[in-house]
Amino acid sequence: MLGRLVAYVRGIARRRQVDAQIDDELSFHLQSEIQANVGRGMSPAEARRVALRDLGGLTQTREATRDVRTIWLDVLWSDLRHVVRSLRATPAFTTVALTVLTLSIGATTAIFSVVDTVILRRLPFDESDRLVAVGERNLKDSSTSSLNLAAPQNFLDWRDRQDVFTGLAAVAYAEISLRREGDALPENLRAQRVTADFFSVLRTAPLLGRGFSIDDEVADRAHVAVISYGLWQRRFGGTPAVIGAQLPGQLASFEVVGVMPPGFTYPVDTYVLGAREPIDVWVPYVFSSPDRVRGNSFGYNLHVVGRLRDGVSIEQAQARMDQITASLAAETPRWFTDRVAKVERLHQYVTRGVRTWMVLLLGSVSFVLLIACVNLANLMLVRATTRTRELAVRAALGASRWDLSRALLLESLVLSLAGGTLGVAVAWWGVEILRSAMPAGVPRVANIAVDLRVLAATALAAIVTGITFGLAPVLQFSRPTVANALHQSERTTTVGTRTRWLRAALVVAEVALAVILLVGSGLFLASFARVTTVDLGLDRRDVLTVQVRVLEIPANVQQASQRNRQLLLNVLDRVRAIPGVEVASLLGGGLPLRGDLRTVDFAIPGRDLPRNTDIDSNQISPDYFKAIKVPLLKGRLFIDADSQNAQPVVILNQAAAARYFDHEDALGKIVRLSGIRTVVGVVGNIRHDGPESGWRTQAFVPFAQSRVAGATLVVRTTPGAQRILPAVRQAIWSEFAAPAIPTRIDEGALEDYFDGLVAQRRFNMLLLGLFGLLGLVIADVGIYGVMAYVVTQRTHEIGIRMALGALPSTVLLSVLGGALVYMTIGLVIGVTIAVGLAELVRGFLFEIQPHDPTVYAGVLTVLAMTGLAAAFLPARRAAAIDPLVALRAE
Amino acid sequence: MAKTDLLQGTLDLLILRILTLGPNHGWGVANRIRQMSRDGLNASQGSLYPALHRLELAGDVRSEMKPSEKNRRARVYTITAAGRRRLEIEHARWQQFALSMRRVLRAE
Repeated sequence: MLGRLVAYVRGIARRRQVDAQIDDELSFHLQSEIQANVGRGMSPAEARRVALRDLGGLTQTREATRDVRTIWLDVLWSDLRHVVRSLRATPAFTTVALTVLTLSIGATTAIFSVVDTVILRRLPFDESDRLVAVGERNLKDSSTSSLNLAAPQNFLDWRDRQDVFTGLAAVAYAEISLRREGDALPENLRAQRVTADFFSVLRTAPLLGRGFSIDDEVADRAHVAVISYGLWQRRFGGTPAVIGAQLPGQLASFEVVGVMPPGFTYPVDTYVLGAREPIDVWVPYVFSSPDRVRGNSFGYNLHVVGRLRDGVSIEQAQARMDQITASLAAETPRWFTDRVAKVERLHQYVTRGVRTWMVLLLGSVSFVLLIACVNLANLMLVRATTRTRELAVRAALGASRWDLSRALLLESLVLSLAGGTLGVAVAWWGVEILRSAMPAGVPRVANIAVDLRVLAATALAAIVTGITFGLAPVLQFSRPTVANALHQSERTTTVGTRTRWLRAALVVAEVALAVILLVGSGLFLASFARVTTVDLGLDRRDVLTVQVRVLEIPANVQQASQRNRQLLLNVLDRVRAIPGVEVASLLGGGLPLRGDLRTVDFAIPGRDLPRNTDIDSNQISPDYFKAIKVPLLKGRLFIDADSQNAQPVVILNQAAAARYFDHEDALGKIVRLSGIRTVVGVVGNIRHDGPESGWRTQAFVPFAQSRVAGATLVVRTTPGAQRILPAVRQAIWSEFAAPAIPTRIDEGALEDYFDGLVAQRRFNMLLLGLFGLLGLVIADVGIYGVMAYVVTQRTHEIGIRMALGALPSTVLLSVLGGALVYMTIGLVIGVTIAVGLAELVRGFLFEIQPHDPTVYAGVLTVLAMTGLAAAFLPARRAAAIDPLVALRAE
Repeated sequence: MAKTDLLQGTLDLLILRILTLGPNHGWGVANRIRQMSRDGLNASQGSLYPALHRLELAGDVRSEMKPSEKNRRARVYTITAAGRRRLEIEHARWQQFALSMRRVLRAE
């Protein structure tokens, strides 16, 4: 059968080529025959005449031979027309099959595109498998297995002493805020500070100009920069004269020395390094003198990348790094005891954080594809069975088994190719949506697109699907003999046992798969619902935050601080006057939900707290707690009288008060943080790091009593008043009058920060919810299709029963009962498998157990209800059968 | 001896049989049929080529263009596994047919 299929396809594919060769073939024949005839003693003319006669004329034979091929093309054409006609004759079947195929192939392709780009595809560098990340790991900290960033002096030591890498480069995040020019407000550029070997380690040369050399790492030289292709086009119009042009930063101007090729990005989780969007500028990393202190414990800010020398394995590189660490530890014993250097393949390092997540997505979507295949097999089976008689007649009239199979196979191929084509369109659209819905911090998101590899995978999925479900009816039909099939008309009450079992198995499988998908949806839905309803301790709605940072390095810190504070208070007054602003306040320190923290040493005079006790420190204007709606539990909030020269005061949050003062009243207690202060109030806790983390101990001091190099405006607006942002920016710029004071502002809404924190959960919830819905619909369509078919098959039998006195309600219940049996088996199997699989997603769940009974009960209820509803339509049809009509119908 | 025209359907059987001896081109097959039947069967060469192409499309033989002597290109046919199976069936069927014919003709 397969050999015939191959010959059939090959015959069609080679037709044109073979046509051209028939002339060669026949002329070879003629020449050989003429030669043979001459050998038999004929004259050349006679020999040619006889040869042509025996061949039956050259032209006639050529035409007859070609016809063989053409007839086959006609057969294909007529097969195709037959398929299209029969598909159009059954629009319900065709619509359902195409929809199921399109959605499942579309979903599979879209997800595969994402997974492929994010974790499977090689990094876009020459011999990228030789690239490694080198990082530090604290042996005492077992909470994470990933590499930490490296301290600058450690990097310098590694670079000096290593001999296993062709180069070792370090990357750190930087920000460059461009000077205000004309009416344009300053533009913030995303930048990376990189060491000399960065571009050569990646083996990516600038498109124009040069990269960096070791000379650029020296401080006090002219500032140089390499810019991205995008920035070159955007800001310099793509002119080659850009080399040597100035990039006017607020603090210093950079001379552009190079332009990178389009699409160049360094794919390391830029979130780690602080950036969420592609990098615009690379500047040399200049090692400052604090950087050069061996044992500097505060500056873990370098991501280190290296390229293995030829012939050096990753294990050898690790061994060498171990030696270097050991010798450094021997030289500076106080520092190196717990910290080691680790080498990891760059691809692995980049994808570490998202790999299991991507596998989860791929796993879920593969269940969608699976249930779709089962459903289609089922549909085709029902279809083939209803056509058994037609096929049997064709067989009796001389159609071979091959002829019949070909029609069925072709039908499934046409369906799956059409579904595949539509599916690619869905995938293209789906990828666009997925890309924009991806949470920040996923590597290589910008590169996600439906690509050729994915298209190939889809085509394969389409064809495998086609053959899978095309084959079921072929096998099923091939089994009974023609006579048997002819005999088995609608008159007979039962279908072949094999067919019935196969169909039952398929429906059971569909229900079981739907259970698995729905349990997944349920768990992720519940997780998301719980995350979003966690009490954060603050009201995140309608809060706009605008961070103002003064970039200058002041000669007189005290003076600058005074000035900055006054400017910010002026800004605050201006902002309060903007229509739509309800409460405006200032916050220095860590903004909630942003992962920002500033901690200071904390002590209580007269008490023995553990060494290194620290507390989150925030400087706030009096209205801050009103702006984010944090309740005052005890004492008082700050007032304007808590000024620079008044008594230093502090407000603690409940967590800090409970931790350090237990049951005593914290009010009036004296604590030391940034000086001696008196506790005047206790406020409610907030989940500073988001819904999935606990309370932190936090302290708040008056804005007026602290040093100021910038602050965040935290503004509660009337609902939906994001549009006040331009007015707020204007207020800031008019006070700071950049570029007189180099200032950078960044803005965002608390709600958006929160959305960023739960983005991955929302993404998972939406996707798995969609998959669950898809599974549910597909399973219900399957139940409906099979029950409808069963009723059609049993019309005669039901007619007899009703003629003998069976009540419509009995018939109705018997059909529903049949559906219930399938569903029950499917539900049991599905739950059994789901319980096992749910354990695998435990790490993705929030405050819900993988075996949460509510979720399972919900899934079973939904499936049972919709399944019975789907079976109810054919059941009602069965109950409405008129015995007279049913019996006469033959 | 007069040359007998082939019975409908027997040409395929003959071709497959000849090709079990080894790959051959169309002219070679025709020649072989002539030789082996001692000129008793005339595979009308005009129907030989359509038959060969039909067999190829059915998957019973496969072909490829090969250079032959004097720089000519000949299409060489090889029997496939499916072809061998088919030959067996057709062969048995033919034996049955010939036996039946003989029985009828000899019956008194």
